[in-house]
Amino acid sequence: MTDIQLVGRPRALIAGRASRLRRRIAAARWSYLYVLPMLVLLLAFVIYPIIASLGYTFYRWDGIGEPGDFVGLANFARVMTDSIFWGALRNTFFYVLLVVPVQLVLALALALVLNNRRLRGRTLYRTLFFLPVVTSAAVVGVVVQLLFSNFGDVVNDVLMSIGLTDEYVDWLGDPSFAMIIIIGVGIWHTLGYNLVYFLAGLQTIPDELYEAARLDGAGALASFRYITVPMLRSVGVVIVLLSVIGSFQVFDLVQVLTNGGPYFATEVVNTYVYHLAFGGFGGTGVERDVGLASAASFFYGMLLIVFAVAQALFLRVLVRRRGGRA
Amino acid sequence: MTRRAPWLTHAFLLLGGIAWLYPFLWTLGSSLKSTDEFFGRGLNPLPGTPLWANYGQAWQGASFGQYFLNTLTITVATVVITLLVTAMAGYTLARTEFPGKGLVLVVVAGTVFLPHGYTIIPIFDIMDALGLLNSLWSIIIVQSAGGIVFGTFLFMGYFRAIDHSLEDAARVDGAGFHQVFWRIMLPLSGPMLATVGLFTAISAWNSFFIPLVFTLARPELRTLGVGMYAFIGENSTDWTLLCAGSVITLAPIIAIFLVLQRFFVNGLAGAVKQ
Amino acid sequence: MSAIQLSRRQLLGAAVATGGAAFLAGCGDSRQNAAPAQGTTLAYWDWYVSQAPWVDNEVKLFQQANGKTTIKKTTQVTDKYLDLVALAFRSGTAPDVLLLPTKPKLETHVGEGWLMPLDKWATPEWRSRFPANSFVEGVNIFGGKVYSAPFSGLAPALQLYIHNGVFKEAGLTNPDGSVLIPKTWDDITRAAEAITSKSGGKVFGLGFGNAQKGALPWLIELFCRGAGSPGGTQSVDYRTGRWTYGTDRNYADFLALLLDWKSRGFIYPNSMSISDEQARAFFSKGRFGMIVGGVWNQAPWEEAGFKDYSLMTLPSPTGTPQGFFYGAPGSYLMGLSAKARNPDQAWAWLDWFYSPAAGKRWVQGGYGLSVYPENNDPAGVTSPTFKQYVAMANTALVGPVPAIRNPEIAKVEVAPVQPDLPDVAAGIYTGQLKDTPKALKELEDRLNGALGEAVSKARGQGLKVSMDDYVFADWDIAKPYTTKRG
Repeated sequence: MTDIQLVGRPRALIAGRASRLRRRIAAARWSYLYVLPMLVLLLAFVIYPIIASLGYTFYRWDGIGEPGDFVGLANFARVMTDSIFWGALRNTFFYVLLVVPVQLVLALALALVLNNRRLRGRTLYRTLFFLPVVTSAAVVGVVVQLLFSNFGDVVNDVLMSIGLTDEYVDWLGDPSFAMIIIIGVGIWHTLGYNLVYFLAGLQTIPDELYEAARLDGAGALASFRYITVPMLRSVGVVIVLLSVIGSFQVFDLVQVLTNGGPYFATEVVNTYVYHLAFGGFGGTGVERDVGLASAASFFYGMLLIVFAVAQALFLRVLVRRRGGRA
Repeated sequence: MTRRAPWLTHAFLLLGGIAWLYPFLWTLGSSLKSTDEFFGRGLNPLPGTPLWANYGQAWQGASFGQYFLNTLTITVATVVITLLVTAMAGYTLARTEFPGKGLVLVVVAGTVFLPHGYTIIPIFDIMDALGLLNSLWSIIIVQSAGGIVFGTFLFMGYFRAIDHSLEDAARVDGAGFHQVFWRIMLPLSGPMLATVGLFTAISAWNSFFIPLVFTLARPELRTLGVGMYAFIGENSTDWTLLCAGSVITLAPIIAIFLVLQRFFVNGLAGAVKQ
Repeated sequence: MSAIQLSRRQLLGAAVATGGAAFLAGCGDSRQNAAPAQGTTLAYWDWYVSQAPWVDNEVKLFQQANGKTTIKKTTQVTDKYLDLVALAFRSGTAPDVLLLPTKPKLETHVGEGWLMPLDKWATPEWRSRFPANSFVEGVNIFGGKVYSAPFSGLAPALQLYIHNGVFKEAGLTNPDGSVLIPKTWDDITRAAEAITSKSGGKVFGLGFGNAQKGALPWLIELFCRGAGSPGGTQSVDYRTGRWTYGTDRNYADFLALLLDWKSRGFIYPNSMSISDEQARAFFSKGRFGMIVGGVWNQAPWEEAGFKDYSLMTLPSPTGTPQGFFYGAPGSYLMGLSAKARNPDQAWAWLDWFYSPAAGKRWVQGGYGLSVYPENNDPAGVTSPTFKQYVAMANTALVGPVPAIRNPEIAKVEVAPVQPDLPDVAAGIYTGQLKDTPKALKELEDRLNGALGEAVSKARGQGLKVSMDDYVFADWDIAKPYTTKRG
């Protein structure tokens, strides 16, 4: 008796909640319909492949037919103990830590110059600096690789004739220079995105603010410091995030320019994974292993999520603290 | 600086811009070189005597006429589908409340970092099950799916920034859910449509692997990106034709950018507005 | 396996069930062109880009001879060929006739049920036109059924190319004015030195293009085989069944020599960053005097009008090669899909492709050597440099084939190692790896470890294999070897 009483009340409560929920769902039926196409595409072509790949991480599998050689967590263990993986991770961080700040500063400076309405031909300049974005990284890599081998000769001739060096430097083939060059090309290739984002951000700042500042006698530096920077903060966070995410996925450029070499000097995580999945060049009996590659890329994805959450928390604290002070 | 010495700014911008464009100029020039000059002229982008025939050969050799049409079809359809899907989803997620919205947002955001897999097999199986293999549809759908997360986020940001008063006024006048979206909000999002459209067009136009895989049994459905591989052999590549092919491939997308860029910056400006 | 299978099916079901997807399915293009009412159309796949003129000509001749059959050729992207073939078989859209991917082993393709046995047509009479031992269990025969046939003759995979103009400029000529062809390692050092010093450092002794990591292994392969290391960079030394990068001194000796050339400025300095193709172009422009490459170098040079070069193979410390290139008796190239719609016509095309007449045109076109020895006659070849290559056919010998003695060995799957030879070679060359012998020994241990692991794993799965299956103690590397069946 008492049991029924006790259970009955929550049940009625639940039923009430359920019917309210049902009503809310019914009221929002068009919302669901509008989100549905996106969700269907997302589930079928983004989420499902992710889940399927997660399944592959437990197998040794050459990517042909169905996976059959179950190895448990061995793939993850192998990745975590592979010094090449950690070296590739270090190189990737090096790339991100250089590309993101340099590119953002360059892009912001350029955006400030191009945002000037009185500057003639600014549309032309905007187009010039955006164009590399339009090209795929693979095409860029091929051209740049060809350019550098010639460029290298010219630069070497100059350096040697003025006596700066008595040895030829093989720029992209030299472990101490290759990564720097890749970083430079990376900045060149995607600067346009950040330029346009910053330009967009600058356009949201009302001209009246600058007018008022000028009337108050503020100079260019002061209005940059007290108007532009605070007004750009929120878009800045988005730009940094997109830039960081994009840079962590660097792949084509490295693959085409150096193939991760010489001797892993420019190996980034995505080329490392690619080499696992498709075997190296001229390999000695190398079989490809999609399972191991999937494990490596999952492990990397997890590391990135941890990193992203940490970064988001950090940025939030930073923005809040600065916001409080301003 | 700009006020005092505009010529300095211009000199700086022009020099920078030309350096920025150098690889393009070099590709353009190389498309008119002979194979001999291609390797022999080094950094000089200018050909000795322009070989216009390269363009004819590239056009023929890679069936560019047919591939051009395929690429155009795929790009247009991908852009239209992506815009519809992401604008609808972005609007709904930004301006309406419904049970489960939080979950949808988390799922969408979570896919940004996770690896999308090192095998095309899962997606290939879906297309096989749908009977869409070896059709342009499979490429269009897969490529539309590729850009939805990014596009949805951009539209969300944009619609969130639009003033509520228009929507409210329309509601008072008796406009329903559909009218508000199609008559009021979508027309207001022109700049964002241009922005997402351009990003989608760039990636759809340049893509290589998806069109390659999904047209494997019907080469006549290939795209320009795949066609370029007609010049790349096991051990040697026809570089000058590859450059000519690149120019043919890139020209339309650059033209689209020139036309759309004004909207494009405005669209982003709208999306990043608080 | 079943877990993955299930979740995939379930998710597929869900995907198909959604209305939008079904709508789209309705708009799909028709899947396959129906064959014309008259005659048949064969779908044929290859990855032959530079060989396309030969293929197109054979297709034309075949269609003239077989009026009712049309061949629809698709040349697929070379470096995605395996993926495309695998996906095509997965979706039932595979071509009727195809060149078989070189990786993984044919064993895998047959195991997946992709291929049609050819026994109905490949009768003993048909097979008899090939050289002896061309059809081998574990190579192109599986479970007693034949699936493919060899197309190319055994050939030296790599050669040392010599720029005649550069050599003459450096005074490297015989008394009669012809170019002095180096034969020993020391000859090459002397030639490189002469070129570099005579030109005042403007022209280099030799160059390579290692951007794809392949060129340094080629150098090692060519020089160490000549010095008597029969595994080269391709396989274990079948006399001991072990990898020998560390224990066989030839490898360390050659790398020391290479570093010596580098430090003395004989090597084109951008060699690590340029691609092999760039290196070939720079060689033809006379920027350096020697380059290692394969016969595929010749056609592009010919096309660009560069003909003034010579070639040799297997340079060795003494001038007489101690080791050679080894090939399997029997290999594979073309096969028929298990689901070929018109198997008889498909076979007719395969038969034509493999005909001695087509092989002769292959050799005369300068594409490579034919499986039929009578086709590999330098006399019928017009290009003098390709003639030199054809005359080198005797530097490729039949070597031991473990799978002939024990077919089960074909099922052993060796895991990749990292760093592999291409990485280690680059590390030594750039100085990132300072201790060459140690780096080579560690590489050897990694490779032997991976092999041992693969064999014991295979035994665990019930395969009758052992490390002894890789050992051919009676092999004289200077002579052709006949592997006895187990």
